[in-house]
Amino acid sequence: MEPVERDNSLHVIASIHRDGVGLDLKPVDLCFLVALHTRAGQSNLTCFEEEVLLDVFEQVCDAVDSDGENLRKRATHAIQRLREQRLLSRVDGDGLLRAGDYSMTRLASGIVEFFMADQVLTRESLSLLTKALLVSLAQVKSQAKGAQTPEEWRLNVVGPLRVTVGDLVAGIERRQRGLDAQQEQVRKQIGELLEADWFSAVDRCQHLLDDTTTTLAELNSVLLHDTHQILAVLSDIEQAASQARMTEAEEATQRVSEQVDRVAAWGRTRQLAWSTYYQYVHRYLRDVVRLDPSRALSERLRNQLAGWTKQPFYWVIAQASKIRVLRENAIREQRPPVVRPAQDREVPLEHVPSDAEATTLEELVRAALASGRTTLADVLDVVLPQIDAAKRFAAVGRIAAQVAVEAAARSDRDRPWVQVPGEVEVEDWMLPGGRAHA
Amino acid sequence: MHESAFHQLEEVVQDPLFPEVDLALRAGRHIDRDDGERYAFVLDAQSLLETFYRRYGCELVHASDGFFYLLPVGDQMGRRHLTAGEMLVGQTLALVYLEPTTVQAGGITQQSVVVARLASLVGERELIQALNPRRRKYDERIAQETVRMEIAKALRGLESVGFIDLDEGEQVRLRLGLLRFAEAVRGLSDPAEALSRLIAEGKAVAEAAGDENEGGEEAGA
Repeated sequence: MEPVERDNSLHVIASIHRDGVGLDLKPVDLCFLVALHTRAGQSNLTCFEEEVLLDVFEQVCDAVDSDGENLRKRATHAIQRLREQRLLSRVDGDGLLRAGDYSMTRLASGIVEFFMADQVLTRESLSLLTKALLVSLAQVKSQAKGAQTPEEWRLNVVGPLRVTVGDLVAGIERRQRGLDAQQEQVRKQIGELLEADWFSAVDRCQHLLDDTTTTLAELNSVLLHDTHQILAVLSDIEQAASQARMTEAEEATQRVSEQVDRVAAWGRTRQLAWSTYYQYVHRYLRDVVRLDPSRALSERLRNQLAGWTKQPFYWVIAQASKIRVLRENAIREQRPPVVRPAQDREVPLEHVPSDAEATTLEELVRAALASGRTTLADVLDVVLPQIDAAKRFAAVGRIAAQVAVEAAARSDRDRPWVQVPGEVEVEDWMLPGGRAHA
Repeated sequence: MHESAFHQLEEVVQDPLFPEVDLALRAGRHIDRDDGERYAFVLDAQSLLETFYRRYGCELVHASDGFFYLLPVGDQMGRRHLTAGEMLVGQTLALVYLEPTTVQAGGITQQSVVVARLASLVGERELIQALNPRRRKYDERIAQETVRMEIAKALRGLESVGFIDLDEGEQVRLRLGLLRFAEAVRGLSDPAEALSRLIAEGKAVAEAAGDENEGGEEAGA
């Protein structure tokens, strides 16, 4: 929608809401309007004298309303209702001087046309409209080629595209809606015919189906052929507008193209939908109606259903087990239980290389003992100088232990403290001559 | 009679449509004219497929209304029977299919229409009892809710075997296979005799096996 048009529509919407405008028409009011419209057409009237209004109203009441009392009063009320709803307007301006002249408003004419006009798309009307559209577009195309100024483009291209061409396409769309309504009516009619006459209605239903199918096929054929041409001309106009950098004309052309596309799409979808419906009804007529001319099947099925709970039965169907498709092995990850981290409570033995120094020390002690040393201090005096000074303190203990085992050391009650090498003092032991080791 | 496009079973099996048609038939699906090329395929290969499925102890049934289904008559292929809900809803849908008012809507009806028709034809109390077989005492509101749930479940079940299509919303598109529910009342013979014949042919069972509402399995390989 163009911005200007949208602004206008918003303005109209706001004013309708503000003024509380509404329509409340009774069937007799609609009949009255239709009768007035017909009288105007027959008698070439542009407006109606008050007496004519009353006369027409009486005729309408005679035709549709059996209650013929108080006609003048009812006519007065009807005229008043129509005037209040802007369907009739007084046009003479004489006020109280004399009885008025009235005319139907555009709104009233629109309502009457809706009910009266047979605006259903037919092959003839569609061909006429598409041909008129092609002629108009050819003129617009010619004007577009010759247009030099923006003013010429606006007057000779944009204007005709919006008004003439737009109206023609809208006319096709309006008739399409009419045909949609007609199809709906045909569907309803088929249902009603079958409901009323069942088997006797088959031929009439088939006839209705075939008529609509033929109409749709013809329309679609015209649409396919003509919309192609229309779109080609529109494309030329759009190209010319694009070269002339006339955005407004380009947009107007695109809008018409969209409308034409919509018209063509309508033909395709309606034909497809009708085709599905046609097949369904055709099958229904063949398989249901023709095979059950007395409608006994429905009755027997109804009885079967009503008594099913007392005498149930069940249909058997196949249910083969599904083919198993082996899956790849997937290692399922299991969540470990929550536990304290495992601890090795037995400390592993530490591997220690054999101590060569200890062996050497033992041999030195044995040598000292063999050489006849008589006290521990003497042994230490011999051995300790041969040992690294840093290790002497520790060696004293080992030497004492070995001497105690191998030399059967003795000590007096008062054991003397003797200084030995390595700034260490030891309690001295006596070593008798007999040695324990070999 | 048209000439078949297939002369050997191998050609049938090699056809790209065979796997899906075979799986559908084995799953209990009814294939009708609305299935288009799948129906045409079964129709073309009918004689070869009949021999093929007979080896599995099954009969490929071609109903005169224009649909196929597989009927296990031996024990080689698994089978089941429809549930009580599916039977009740299926018969109601078949009835709706036959009505002229459905023609106006092109074979489409509403779930609410089905529920209303079912309740009016069977009776609300009988319907509640049929679909709540284990409950002797029931709360009306809960029972009605259970019935609605069972009907919805039945509709899904009927869709899975090709009796109907469920569209968006609550629309139900009725399919030809529904006419199977009228099989016992076709013709002019006594419906009870016709039913006995169908039971003897293995097309129906009179007693529900196992859980009535779960569609008991009859046999199976």
